[in-house]
Amino acid sequence: MEATNKYAFFLGCIAPNRYPGIESAAIKTSKKLGIELVPLKGASCCPAPGAFGSIDLNIWYAMAARNVVLAEQMKTDIALICNGCYKSIWEVNHKLKHNKDLREGVNEVLKEIDMEYKGTVNVYHLAELLYDPKICGVEKIRASVTNPLNGTRIAVHYGCHLLKPKKDRVWSAPGIGDTENPMWIEDMVAALGAEPVQYRNKMLCCGAGGGVRGYDIVHSLDITNEKMINLKAVKADALTEVCPFCQLQFDRGQIEIEEKFGVKYGLPVLHYNELLGLAQGMSPQELGLDLHGISCEPFLQKVL
Amino acid sequence: MAEKKKTTAKKTEAKKEIKHEAPAKQETKKQAPAPVGSTTKQEARIGVFICHCGTNIAGSMDIPAVQEYVKTIPNVAYVDNYKYMCSMPGQAVINKAITEQKLTGVVVAACSPRLHEPTFRTATKEGGLNPFRFEMANIREQNSWVHMHDQEGSTEKAKDAIRIAVAKAALLQDLYPKAVPVEHAAMVVGAGVAGMQAALDLANAGIKTYLIESDASIGGRMSQLDKTFPTLDCSQCILTPKMVDVGRAPNIELMTWSEVDAVEGYIGNFDVTIRKKARGVLSVAEAEAKGIVGGGCNGCGDCEVVCPVVKPNEFEVGMKPRKAIYINHPQVVPLLYTIDWNSCIKCGLCVTACGEKKAIELEQKDEFVKVKVGTAILATGFDIFPVENKTEWGYKRYENVITSLEFERLICASGPTGGHLVRPSDGETPKRVAFVLCAGSRDNTGNGKPYCSRFCCMYSLKHAHQIIEKIPGCVPYLFYMDIRSFGKMYEEFYYRIQDEGGKFIRGRVANILEDPVTKNLHVHADDTLLDRPVDLDVDLVVLAAAVQPKEDTNRTRKLFGVSCSMDGWLLEAHPKLNPCGTTTAGVFLAGVCQAPKDIPDTVASAEGAASAASIPIHMGEVELEPYFATCIEEKCAGCGMCVNLCPYSALALVEKEGRKVMQVTEAKCKGCGTCGGFCPGGAIWMNHFATPQIVAQIDAFLLGGEQ
Repeated sequence: MEATNKYAFFLGCIAPNRYPGIESAAIKTSKKLGIELVPLKGASCCPAPGAFGSIDLNIWYAMAARNVVLAEQMKTDIALICNGCYKSIWEVNHKLKHNKDLREGVNEVLKEIDMEYKGTVNVYHLAELLYDPKICGVEKIRASVTNPLNGTRIAVHYGCHLLKPKKDRVWSAPGIGDTENPMWIEDMVAALGAEPVQYRNKMLCCGAGGGVRGYDIVHSLDITNEKMINLKAVKADALTEVCPFCQLQFDRGQIEIEEKFGVKYGLPVLHYNELLGLAQGMSPQELGLDLHGISCEPFLQKVL
Repeated sequence: MAEKKKTTAKKTEAKKEIKHEAPAKQETKKQAPAPVGSTTKQEARIGVFICHCGTNIAGSMDIPAVQEYVKTIPNVAYVDNYKYMCSMPGQAVINKAITEQKLTGVVVAACSPRLHEPTFRTATKEGGLNPFRFEMANIREQNSWVHMHDQEGSTEKAKDAIRIAVAKAALLQDLYPKAVPVEHAAMVVGAGVAGMQAALDLANAGIKTYLIESDASIGGRMSQLDKTFPTLDCSQCILTPKMVDVGRAPNIELMTWSEVDAVEGYIGNFDVTIRKKARGVLSVAEAEAKGIVGGGCNGCGDCEVVCPVVKPNEFEVGMKPRKAIYINHPQVVPLLYTIDWNSCIKCGLCVTACGEKKAIELEQKDEFVKVKVGTAILATGFDIFPVENKTEWGYKRYENVITSLEFERLICASGPTGGHLVRPSDGETPKRVAFVLCAGSRDNTGNGKPYCSRFCCMYSLKHAHQIIEKIPGCVPYLFYMDIRSFGKMYEEFYYRIQDEGGKFIRGRVANILEDPVTKNLHVHADDTLLDRPVDLDVDLVVLAAAVQPKEDTNRTRKLFGVSCSMDGWLLEAHPKLNPCGTTTAGVFLAGVCQAPKDIPDTVASAEGAASAASIPIHMGEVELEPYFATCIEEKCAGCGMCVNLCPYSALALVEKEGRKVMQVTEAKCKGCGTCGGFCPGGAIWMNHFATPQIVAQIDAFLLGGEQ
């Protein structure tokens, strides 16, 4: 089993630098579910799809392709934990596989560093692998829970780059592709014993992506605030997502919203892998939850 | 005065003369056909007539050059051209040439035979030739129109087309259409407003009409509606008199809870097998036939009271309960209960409650009834597009997003709420209602219908009026692309709703989000008139869902041999000039099964279909095209391969002089040529499309006339 479910783990930037708990949780929880994540040595930034893609697509293609080639050299598919990384690495891999001209152009650049993109590996989001019954599946997640998150109400934020643009995405597991009202992460949340709650604007952007956070923080926070209003209305105990950048926007963003708009929400924001870690018995310290901007204490009191 | 009288007298005389002609025509019809396969060696003298069609043809090619060329084609005895060959003088040119030039065949180079073949056949006949000695060369649709800017090319192509037509014309034979008697009865499939109107018209014209309805009651979609636009009269009030008429008409044999199972035959003689689905309940007549005196269902409802099974009522779009033995609403015709076998537990309580009437039979089986009809009208109606497929609007996910049909039932006084419009989530009266028009219509995303459903704009305007009228202070918001108020008094109705306070927002609804706490809905759209995004908080959303062809359209198509257009609706014979006919003679279309129509258009099309369907019946006999296959018996080896190939079951093997030969039932044969093309011995002769004729056409093309 270990042999078939081994993936090159592409870390991205935000998880290791801002929320190291996500990284450790991903590795440890996956292992219990039969998925082995091995380091993708030498990986760079994905690079960020909004920031790089809006300025020079060729740089975006070439850098992402380089990351894919590293996995090709390991003869291992890539797993990652961030929607932004997914957009870059998955989409570039997909485009290069299907567009000969693009592939040749990218290979010309890669030649300078003695690399060649061949298109021999696939790219997966770890959440997708966890949900896919052929790899892991909801039942297996449920079976791995030792510390059920009973009595908590958890809202899910899917993020944009994971599911959209819908027409380009290809999913191995059924039920993932819906962009209007996906429910599969809710299924995985319910498997942890928590109650998934619905809120208006579930599919609205976190506010960070596409370079908005870097370019115009007030507008960016305005979008986040809109989501926070709706999350507060349904009395969620925590918000979960599968993207460290979304997590950053909701977590640090709440502090910034308080500074700029004077509204305080105090809603804990946890990556799904962090939730899974808690449910599998990992300690808050192991998960680095103390590094979150918004205290997870109110939530932890309910589950520990 | 005296002079006037004289003229009238002359007129009557003239009429008489025309009448005298009719039997003479029939006599020619009964002439014996020429022996099959024999080409009586008579020198072919073909007349070619080139039409300018104004500038339609003449503007794109060199007619004199074509005419000069045609003179050189073998067998051409005469060439002429005229501005409009189809005009009376044009036809006279043909007429005159046939006699003067002793022509044996006529070629007209003009438009598509679909337009004027009948015209020129008549002209050929009037000139004294058999009408099937005519061949058409299409130099307009397939030439001048598509090569409008290639004068030289189209001239050459016209020469080819005419040469090919002449080659066939030289080998054409006299053919005689076969007349078959028409059964003095008709069938109408579907008893919504279209089917009911068509059946009533046929019955009133003295034709026995079988009206087949798959549902338990007649009335169709219209009986589910509350009011009709733009007159605002109550739908049931104007429909039920018609339903009662249908139930009582002596010429209508109403068969509800029945489906067409098989159709055989051809125009004039359709043998139809009807499946009478087991209803579990006997009508008074059926009970009488079984010797149960004073028995049968009288609609008292005693059975319904005792039935322990509760199911959603489909007529009320599932918003009201019914029992396993039920009628959908009090005005059903016929007033007969029906058992829903999928939910009946056969407890027998209803049988006891029914008592001496003995109307209930829990072990009833489907029955098959055979009828013979001359013509049939399909009035099978439509389905509602499953608007939940448009996931962005949340139908079936959000409680307070409903469809227009649900709205009709909720606003209807006889509906589940007694006419009080309420929010399904909490039963509260909505104060802000959004209407999403084109919900699945005019949608090119691939997840909707590309066509306009044609009546949603108008009923949504009516809905807006109804909530303004019924709920003081309630505001309707209509999200629209265009308001299509095209009918009589429709535009005026649109103005009226604007004046009454309807809010119109031009923009397609991008998505609808539910507030999980209040169950209110946020409607997101782009207001394309004000060029700004809209986020509207409303209590209730009504989706004007598109209509789509019936789920079983394919089955209907196969049963009656009719086609579909690209959008899935049943295909009319001609979209403008034969909207009720189909490509199968004797089968007609009425109502929405052909394309979306509002009630006035549906009724008009039903009356059109009834009129068209009654013509062959009143004529008493119809002429079948003489394009049937014939067997050249001396060549037939009796292998029987053709028998199984025939899609119309028109062929059979018969014993003749000690050996087997194929025999054609001419009336069943559609002349498709499948057998003729296949026959290994060349023993099948396709009239008018015979092998020598087609080979001559191919040769004429390939050899460029140098034979």
